[in-house]
Amino acid sequence: MKPERVVENENVYTLVEKIKEGDREAFMTVTRLYQKKVFLLAFSYFRNKEDALDIVQETFLRFYQKADMFHKGRNFQSWLLQVARNICIDYYRKNYSRESTFNRERNIDEMNLPATDSNESHGSSDLKEPFSSCLEKLSEKQRMIFVMKHYNQLEYREIAQILNIALGTVKSLHFKAVQNLRALMSPYLGRQT
Amino acid sequence: MKECKKYQKNLVAFLYGELQGDEKKSLESHLDTCSLCRSELDRLKEVKNGADSLNPEIENVMASIDWEALQEKISEAAFEEGTSMIRQSWLRSFLQSIFQPKLRPVYAGLFLGILIGAAVAFMIFRTPHLQVVKNGEIIVPQSFLEWAELEMARRNTIDYLERSQYLLLDFVQSSLDESAGFWQSNYASQKARDLLSKKKYINQQLDKFHMAKAKAICDQIELLFFELIQISEQISMAELKRIQDLIVERQVLLKIKIVKKELEKSEV
Repeated sequence: MKPERVVENENVYTLVEKIKEGDREAFMTVTRLYQKKVFLLAFSYFRNKEDALDIVQETFLRFYQKADMFHKGRNFQSWLLQVARNICIDYYRKNYSRESTFNRERNIDEMNLPATDSNESHGSSDLKEPFSSCLEKLSEKQRMIFVMKHYNQLEYREIAQILNIALGTVKSLHFKAVQNLRALMSPYLGRQT
Repeated sequence: MKECKKYQKNLVAFLYGELQGDEKKSLESHLDTCSLCRSELDRLKEVKNGADSLNPEIENVMASIDWEALQEKISEAAFEEGTSMIRQSWLRSFLQSIFQPKLRPVYAGLFLGILIGAAVAFMIFRTPHLQVVKNGEIIVPQSFLEWAELEMARRNTIDYLERSQYLLLDFVQSSLDESAGFWQSNYASQKARDLLSKKKYINQQLDKFHMAKAKAICDQIELLFFELIQISEQISMAELKRIQDLIVERQVLLKIKIVKKELEKSEV
């Protein structure tokens, strides 16, 4: 899951300038370089391949339409992931918010609660579903920060840029996200918190 | 314990490689000596391991995607939808330069000015009209009556000036011999009398609507006709000559023409 640092900013600026003039090749290059990063963010957030692919497509279409709004000096990856993040949130509110309460209830039932007398630690594959459900229970911001940090392996500094919040706030929200996940995961980790 | 609390706040950042320099060294040396914080770190590592449990699935899903095809599909969608947009990019940048956010108050002021101007112009220039209500009754607004009265005054004055102009023109252009006969004929004196009685009628209108310029010239004409009628029966050549010269000297006909034109344009 190590995302490679794709391209130097100077090269991206050149590509974006070409895209503004309608260069299709440049657009395809940028899409090739960043589509996996956007997918990783969207898939980690939604845990659904089709939704994540929709997000990827919508993000690059939005980028193409708003390329004029990207100015030299900004970090392109942060800017693009900011666009992706906004689309994720809109998409979530449009398609998931109505069923979220129902799903949460259902997820708790489906979480294969461990026997109360069990003291054994679970293997990592057993943690997949419970962890996924616990992640969904985090607040929108904590969840997004956790996903960006853990799966996209972004630095706090980059997350702060994307979410347009202070570095200290990112650090504090990430801390809270991990603490909350630990509390939610405690029944599956075989320990008391 | 108090010291541990301080270090535990940094454990998540440490776990995710965000701690550097002295902060990192200090935490590491604390962890060497504090079993409580080490066990706290282990618990946090379990969360990280839980998050890692999704990695195989993510890798499988990513491996199942045809990235080349996706890239092609996105590009096709963007360029199909965006062709017209790119063509119009010059228009967009032009509009963006005109409608800059800092100029918004100026545009708002202009728009407001135009609205107020249009409203004022409408109030001034609108033609009053009759309102017919459902059951056939006609409501005549006060503004309509005033407008109709002013319009009648204007038309009556124009008519008076026009008729006077022709009569005076006939008089001025004819020779003295003809003039004597002209004023002794019933035709001219009757016309002059008609005009004098009409003047009495339009006097009220001229006063009411403050048509000062028109009133001045109408008064002059009235005096002329009055004099001509008074003396028409025993008029002498010398008197006729004096009146003709007076008309020419005071440029009465020119004045009539000007006032008439002004009235026709409603400028009085």
